[in-house]
Amino acid sequence: MSYLTIAMGKGRTAKQAMNFLEQSGIKFPDFHEKSRKLVFIDSTERVKLIFVKAVDVPTYVENGAADIGIVGKDTIMEDPADVYEMLDLGIGKCKLAVAGFPDKQFTNSAPLTVASKYPAIAKEYFERNGIRTKTIKLNGSVELAPLIGMSDVIVDIVETGTTLKENGLVVLQDIADVSARLIVNKASFATKTNQIQQFILDLRAVLE
Amino acid sequence: MVNQELYPKRMQQYHEKFERIIKTINKRFTTYGYKRIKTSAFEQYDLYSKVNSSTDQTEMMKVIDRTGEVLVLRPDVTIPITRELAQNFSRLPSELRYFYVQEVFRQTQDTNTSIESTQAGIEYFCESSPEADAEVIALACHTMKDLGFTDIKIEIGHAAFFSELVQGLPLSLQQINQLKTLIQAKNVVEIGPFLRQFQIDPEVMEAIERIPFLYGNIEDVVKRASKTLLTTNMEKTLDYLLKLHATLKTYGLEQYIIIDLGLINHMGYYSGVIFQGFVEKYGKPVLMGGRYDELGEKFGAVLPAIGFACEIESLVQVTEQREVSAAFPIDVKIVYEEEQLNFAITIANELRERNYTVLSFPIRKEKADLQKTVYEIRLQVGSFSLADQEQVIPFKDLKELLTLLVGLKGGA
Repeated sequence: MSYLTIAMGKGRTAKQAMNFLEQSGIKFPDFHEKSRKLVFIDSTERVKLIFVKAVDVPTYVENGAADIGIVGKDTIMEDPADVYEMLDLGIGKCKLAVAGFPDKQFTNSAPLTVASKYPAIAKEYFERNGIRTKTIKLNGSVELAPLIGMSDVIVDIVETGTTLKENGLVVLQDIADVSARLIVNKASFATKTNQIQQFILDLRAVLE
Repeated sequence: MVNQELYPKRMQQYHEKFERIIKTINKRFTTYGYKRIKTSAFEQYDLYSKVNSSTDQTEMMKVIDRTGEVLVLRPDVTIPITRELAQNFSRLPSELRYFYVQEVFRQTQDTNTSIESTQAGIEYFCESSPEADAEVIALACHTMKDLGFTDIKIEIGHAAFFSELVQGLPLSLQQINQLKTLIQAKNVVEIGPFLRQFQIDPEVMEAIERIPFLYGNIEDVVKRASKTLLTTNMEKTLDYLLKLHATLKTYGLEQYIIIDLGLINHMGYYSGVIFQGFVEKYGKPVLMGGRYDELGEKFGAVLPAIGFACEIESLVQVTEQREVSAAFPIDVKIVYEEEQLNFAITIANELRERNYTVLSFPIRKEKADLQKTVYEIRLQVGSFSLADQEQVIPFKDLKELLTLLVGLKGGA
């Protein structure tokens, strides 16, 4: 039987996801948090785990380089891939929201400038709500943009809201709830149906 | 920098594979009675605004002619063939079987994919019936096996199942598309909450939520489907799939078939059975097809049809990941002693007339070509023989050789 390859982003959800895998009976003896290895094989030699940049997980899965991926809903929404999305792992919970200064009004007199790591989500959200926008793509420290006057609002993931608060910003509107999802390559699902369905069943048993 | 000496060899290998795949496909399509046709490289841009197809108009390559009219470089083949037929017939005069191997041009957002790709496909214009549809799926399977993909899996769904279920729901077209996306992604997490925004009969809601689970072998799928609400039309669809499956079983293809009722109309014009094929270690479908009975009506004709297509470039890519090159042997190799040259030419001519691929060599150059062959004919002074993988049979003259070949071929 061939390996089931799982792609995962390194980061805080990875730790919890590893716990789930371990509870469902898939153990990686080589794995420890400080390890810099990118490929791990489980003790029964049925599952291969690869660590990739989180935003690349859907790409690996869509192209079949990995059969299964674990990735945040925010990443899937920003860049939709042609994959199956079969399980909500309920970890890495946060929400996508519009944030800005508390007194910010949405008028349509001039386009609203939006800074975000998620330009596609931001554009889609405001279009749906009939607000004209100009989006600025940033890769980090998005909260800075309204403070220095580069943008009116930001679209970002909010977990506890501490960063926003410390910078004098508040959540103005919620866009969507985010959590880690299990995605599956469509060809793998056809050619390795039993292997993948069993994997999902085992994982679901742990979640419940 | 590409290695100067390796590059020509690799390029040659690529093109050899490419040609061999096309040849294998041509041959197989022909054995099912399909005739090769061609369509124009330029099409009217307006043609594609008429039809709701999978080809996004922003992906088409537009060209402007001398009169200022906008043309597109052929983005697909099915629509032009259907249009062409519709201009000549208002209804199907008789069953028609066509195949094509042609370039199509699409520029997707992904800059890494090439604009040009080569599509090979068939269109079978005929009334819908389980036998006809099964034959087309069998041809798809057969072609893939010819190419050495013995691990092919074909997922079969039906456009009518989903469209019947959502008919009459208080959803806008955009919301239906959202629902389609969720079902195609088997997104069981979000289908429920999405549907609960609307006023929908709980029974219908449950039936829709179960669609992603209607995947697997036919018995399980029918059993699971029958637990939920079914309209008469949905029952008919299931019944149809059962018959189709039974016919495919007769073809000996049961192990390659998966039923997936979550496979819904991704092409816009499909109206009946839909299918796609996957092979291991390749993340995308290697072939896609379905029945499109209503496409002809867009051009004012009744032209029921079913077809499928595959992309040669992806097939080459799949063969590159595995060793399947042995799957394309040439038919006959003739090895002769110099004195037998005349007889060798006579045999070669005769066999080529009969559509065999023939290579011939004098004995001293026998090792010049190591391609695998199905049959080998040896002509030595006083002894002629025909060999296949299992046996060596002597023969006296051309007539006896031909009888032998027919006998072997019939037995194979």
